[in-house]
Amino acid sequence: MEVKDHRVPVTAGAGEGRTQAVDGMPRGCGKLAGFHAGYFRISLSLCGQALLWKTLSEPGGGGASAARSAALRHLSRSVPGAAHLLLWSVALAVLVGLCALYALRCGLRRRHVAAEFSHPVGVNYLFAPWISWLLLLQAAPAAAAPLCRPLWWAFAAPILLLDVKIYGQWFTDGKRFLSLMANPTSQMTVVANLVGAMAAARMGWAEAATCMFSLGMAHYLVLFVTLYQRFVGSSSLPAMLRPVFFLFIAAPSMASLAWDSIAGKFDIGSKMLFYLSLFLLASLASRPALFKKAMRRFNVAWWAYSFPLTMLALAATEYAQAVKGGVSDALMLFLSALSVIVVIVLVVFTVVRTGDLLPNGGHDPFAPPPSPSPLGSPDSSPREISHADI
Amino acid sequence: MDGKENLSSTKESSDSERFPSIFKYIASNSISGFDTTPSPRSDIALFEVPEVIEDDIQERPDNVILPTSQDQTGGLAHAHSISISMPSSPTLFQAEHSYGFLACEKSISYLTKDELNNHVTANSSSHQKMEAKCHSQPISFGRSNTVATSDVLTQSNKFKDKRYDSFKTWSGKLEKQISNLRGKPPEPEIENLTKNTKREVVPAHRFFDALEGPELDKLKASEVLVLPEDKKWPFLLRFPVSSFGICLGVSSQAILWKTLATSPSTSFLHFGLTVNLVLWCLSLALLGIISSIYIVKIILYFEAVRREYYHPIRVNFFFAPWISCLFLAIGIPSSIGIKLHAALWYVLMGPIFLLELKIYGQWMSGGRRRLSKVANPSNHLSIVGNFVGALLGASMGLNEGPIFFFAVGLAHYCVLFVTLYQRLPTNETLPKDLHPVFFLFVAAPSVASMAWTKITGEFGFGSRIAYFIALFLYASLAVRINFFRGFRFSLAWWAYTFPMTGASIATIRYSVEVTNIFTQILSVALTAISIIAVASLLTSTVVHAFVLRDLFPNDIAIAISGSKVDKNINTSDNGACQSVSNGDHYQANQKEGPSLA
Repeated sequence: MEVKDHRVPVTAGAGEGRTQAVDGMPRGCGKLAGFHAGYFRISLSLCGQALLWKTLSEPGGGGASAARSAALRHLSRSVPGAAHLLLWSVALAVLVGLCALYALRCGLRRRHVAAEFSHPVGVNYLFAPWISWLLLLQAAPAAAAPLCRPLWWAFAAPILLLDVKIYGQWFTDGKRFLSLMANPTSQMTVVANLVGAMAAARMGWAEAATCMFSLGMAHYLVLFVTLYQRFVGSSSLPAMLRPVFFLFIAAPSMASLAWDSIAGKFDIGSKMLFYLSLFLLASLASRPALFKKAMRRFNVAWWAYSFPLTMLALAATEYAQAVKGGVSDALMLFLSALSVIVVIVLVVFTVVRTGDLLPNGGHDPFAPPPSPSPLGSPDSSPREISHADI
Repeated sequence: MDGKENLSSTKESSDSERFPSIFKYIASNSISGFDTTPSPRSDIALFEVPEVIEDDIQERPDNVILPTSQDQTGGLAHAHSISISMPSSPTLFQAEHSYGFLACEKSISYLTKDELNNHVTANSSSHQKMEAKCHSQPISFGRSNTVATSDVLTQSNKFKDKRYDSFKTWSGKLEKQISNLRGKPPEPEIENLTKNTKREVVPAHRFFDALEGPELDKLKASEVLVLPEDKKWPFLLRFPVSSFGICLGVSSQAILWKTLATSPSTSFLHFGLTVNLVLWCLSLALLGIISSIYIVKIILYFEAVRREYYHPIRVNFFFAPWISCLFLAIGIPSSIGIKLHAALWYVLMGPIFLLELKIYGQWMSGGRRRLSKVANPSNHLSIVGNFVGALLGASMGLNEGPIFFFAVGLAHYCVLFVTLYQRLPTNETLPKDLHPVFFLFVAAPSVASMAWTKITGEFGFGSRIAYFIALFLYASLAVRINFFRGFRFSLAWWAYTFPMTGASIATIRYSVEVTNIFTQILSVALTAISIIAVASLLTSTVVHAFVLRDLFPNDIAIAISGSKVDKNINTSDNGACQSVSNGDHYQANQKEGPSLA
């Protein structure tokens, strides 16, 4: 990447001026600098919702068990198939739009993308588009079945490449050791592997599924311990990003779903992972003070609440099929309702407060820091981020 | 030395005031053991002065007169001087020093107002010492001082409570309510005494700064306590939550004897179920007694309980009563004939679940209590509860609940295990040498193996893996038995016996599965070790309780100050009532130090 201009915009005004002066681009492109991969949280949530609605509405849904609980059958009758299709199309449109924008950013703001890659939080969201595509693939209507296999490869390959790069960095790159970079968003890497495993298993590829599952779980073990240890001096999350703590719930639920798909039934391993994510939900829900600061102003980080809840609801549907009984049905209904409500609330907020959501003119939270020396590289201090905008 | 000090003091006095130096000189020389209190300079605050200091006063020469305020006659009326050769008139002093003090006919010393004004911390109600200090009387010291002291003591009994008020529930108001309800006349309120009994929150790092030792119960030399160190505190304040360790130890023994009697592989020992019954009833009684005492402590001394909760090691012992209840339910003798209802399991696991939410949540996102700093082997107590609950639930026939707790316990056990094995340099609480607390490492895998057996219905690979890990940890600790020396006995040691018992029970279970001579020998050996350990612990407890009478020493760990107090100002620790900034007192300090150490 070329490092031509060292005067990196820190303020919004300067940023826009600079874009005009240097790149000769119209003003709107200044916003591209602020459009970081975190915006893919929106597509994650919507695609996850699409998968949930598909599971709830279609008979014999995603899980491998044939028997369906009474509640689920009730639900599937009440939710019309058209609603699921509509949601899927909306999710697809949003995802395509976001991908296009990000592709534009890659083309025009290469330096910013590189800076994002070096950032401990930003790098993990580079997995988000691929997760969204895989989820969308699984939620696709039956008509798209023949395309599934090649598309799976198209989406899993970038995940594997990113894996090699990022997991390798964890224990080899001196500046980016896990003990320094670990933060709750690192669980996105684990989720990506597990989603790939689940998609592969549901398409019938046992080996690929097991491979990605073991990759994800091995690193999940390491990451779980590291995150709990909370080393003094490890990158601490800004207060605005506290909603990403919900990723603690997403990873075990995803693992439970993936193992359920691989093993063919919701056995004890899946159950244990599901219970772990339930416990973590209870733990986070009983600490509202943790999220107080982040809830003051609407920003894109709020979308981080919905994806994990959706995954947990999905796992609960599988659980309710495996363990018949009132409690499991109630749990499934409660969690599904919760995730739907959260998504609706977030959509409403987005529509009403679009201004808060959009990147404010060129200010990139992962911007390469202004460096006095001509050799200033964007990844010299990956931790300097603006606390307001992520 | 005396002369030198006097000369210096005379020099000062002659410089500042028209004070007859001869008079001074004579006064201090002619009367040996002239009783002078240390100079109440502006940076001094007299705290709980131990009685011992009276003895030292004899050797004290005339202390330095403060350069200021020499103008009063006879050095009596001014607020700062202590070398008062004239008998102090109680009324005069009372008029001047309106701070709380004790009235005593004999030689009583009063804390000067300046001294009291210079108390350091806000939460100093306990610091406002009521004990009288002999000031000036040239009286025969030996007896009169002690008489004065005992006078002071008897009359300070009613004030003793006030010092512990900051630890009482609602700062002592509850106790007053209760005594009012019982018709006792209200005690005379000493003004300004309870003014400062506001609750102080002790942050987590204070425990690490102020305490040391594997159980964080030894005070560092530079720290002070908010309660008097020399006195024996009220019993309830000395009753730590780690006493529940006794219940853990005895109830796990009950389970061991039940397993010994009922397992086919140990039937060659021909033990009956009587021992189980006896131990079970004993542990039930112990649990009842200790719980009731602790409940009374919660009611009366809630602040002390709160401090125990903040203590990084003691907080784990709050799981102990519930784990003991679970052990009792597991080890219930069949001769009692009660079938335990599933609802009991939910009732017992509820508090464990809530405590876990709090503590694991703190690990994940709490402010200063990050695991990399606070991890210590006692954290195993918070993990074992999950596995014991899973074991009981599975024995009762429940399905999902046990798996839930097993999963949660396993996930957090992995985290804790890795952290403790890492022995992170940022971790301050792990003792450098071995301590019985390390035996808690053995607890979780052995109980997990039994729980998994009950959940899956067979002693499969998962159980075996867990069991072998437990066995390995046991062996690696047992061969280092030499390093378990030189530690002071504490009640918490009872909690460290239950892992040994757990390992024995797991071994017996394993020997049922794999019955050969080796496993049987191993089960007998481990059982014998655990029984011997418990027996010796019982002997130590009895000895400490009845012979040495120090089973419940002052619970230092909960009495640390909320913020760092400069120890030089505090007199209670080394009797150095003044800072060493004045060379005149330096020698006096030196003399006093060793005598009070």
